[in-house]
Amino acid sequence: MDKIPVEFTLNGQKKQIMVFPNDLLINILRDELYLTGTKYGCGIGECGACTVFINDEPVLSCLTLAASVNGKEITTIEGLAKGNELHPMQIAFLKNAAVQCGFCTPGMILTAIALLKENPNPTEEEIKEYMRGNICRCTGYVQIIKAIKACASEQNKVKR
Amino acid sequence: MVPFKYISPKTKVEVLKILRQENSKASIVAGCSNILPYIKDKLISGKLLVDISEIEELKYIKIIDNHLSIGPVTTISDLMNSEIIRKEYNILFHAAEEFADPIVRNTATIGGNLADASPAADTAPPLLVLNAVLEIENLDGKRDVDLKDFFIGPRKNVLHNDEMITGIKIKNQSINKNGCFIKLGLRQAMAISLASIAMVLETGNGKITDVRIAMGSIASKPLRLINVEEFLLNKKIDDALIGESMKKVSETVNPISDVRASEDYRRYVSGILFKRAFQQLTN
Repeated sequence: MDKIPVEFTLNGQKKQIMVFPNDLLINILRDELYLTGTKYGCGIGECGACTVFINDEPVLSCLTLAASVNGKEITTIEGLAKGNELHPMQIAFLKNAAVQCGFCTPGMILTAIALLKENPNPTEEEIKEYMRGNICRCTGYVQIIKAIKACASEQNKVKR
Repeated sequence: MVPFKYISPKTKVEVLKILRQENSKASIVAGCSNILPYIKDKLISGKLLVDISEIEELKYIKIIDNHLSIGPVTTISDLMNSEIIRKEYNILFHAAEEFADPIVRNTATIGGNLADASPAADTAPPLLVLNAVLEIENLDGKRDVDLKDFFIGPRKNVLHNDEMITGIKIKNQSINKNGCFIKLGLRQAMAISLASIAMVLETGNGKITDVRIAMGSIASKPLRLINVEEFLLNKKIDDALIGESMKKVSETVNPISDVRASEDYRRYVSGILFKRAFQQLTN
């Protein structure tokens, strides 16, 4: 197999790399670019641990071919904080004890950010519905839902 | 992972040329949500993956001549965000809501869901009751195939190696507005359907004037229950009718036993799904 060139923006930085046609985005992110915040959970698109943003939309990096991201903008969990300033969703997760082992957390945070972008004031049902592709084995979800609600109300406070 | 080749053409014509040239070696991909798991499971190997996800001319939702026309690369999220579909074809909206999860929906496409031809495909029962017609093309031209004639069996459809789905057409009819989709799974989310039903109907003077029923995961392909529809036509709506229809549904479906459910259970629950859908639409 010959490698093919791929150019994309990753967390605001332009990248140019060579990939095999059968390289998955998650493996390129973790193994070639050393961004291990994105986690390999199930590898078949059922757990959400591998969630990243491509052009601001949450997608599963375990089901994304690295060759297909040419010309796109990718954001991983590492791209959320601005220096030492955490993203409001990250702060909410920490303040509301929504992190135990932390494995599901990057995916959860990214999906939650996408949720609030689409629906700035979701009900608990709407949160559960939107987050249903992100699975957690530790928390029982209660604190995660609480964190998302807290972040939403913080953001709505700021808007007023 | 097993090696394969990858190409991402920019136009539909380029795709058709590749399909003609590569024949069975080429495999169209878009969201990759089915094909990558197949490749990982070694069910598919040695392919040239032809990525059509960025071809704009294949991504559309529009009204042409009193028909809703949907491009095959339209994602399930696109379907949910479409006002036309939410208002005029809400059975498709409800099926999209049950489909996988919001993240998968961002890349999974309606064309891919149909071409994969799983008996459990969630977009199939609603499209069957909407009498969807598929536009299929190769380098030589176009042909229309009724969706009910498209599926042959599990993961088998009528597409030739050099053909691709280029459009999904639904005629605008008043019956489309009164529909429901119910999906039964082993869990509330991210479930492959154990059985599913889509139904649209119209009534007048307490009788059924028009009805279409389709079910998923209860046969080797998504199924229109034509004989049940014929039975229901012009009948008065009462409990006896529901009871008789439930029996007919259970007799018509042809399920198998698998990891999700037994044949007996599927046969039984098909009748229940009919009842739930029917009552939802007639109350």
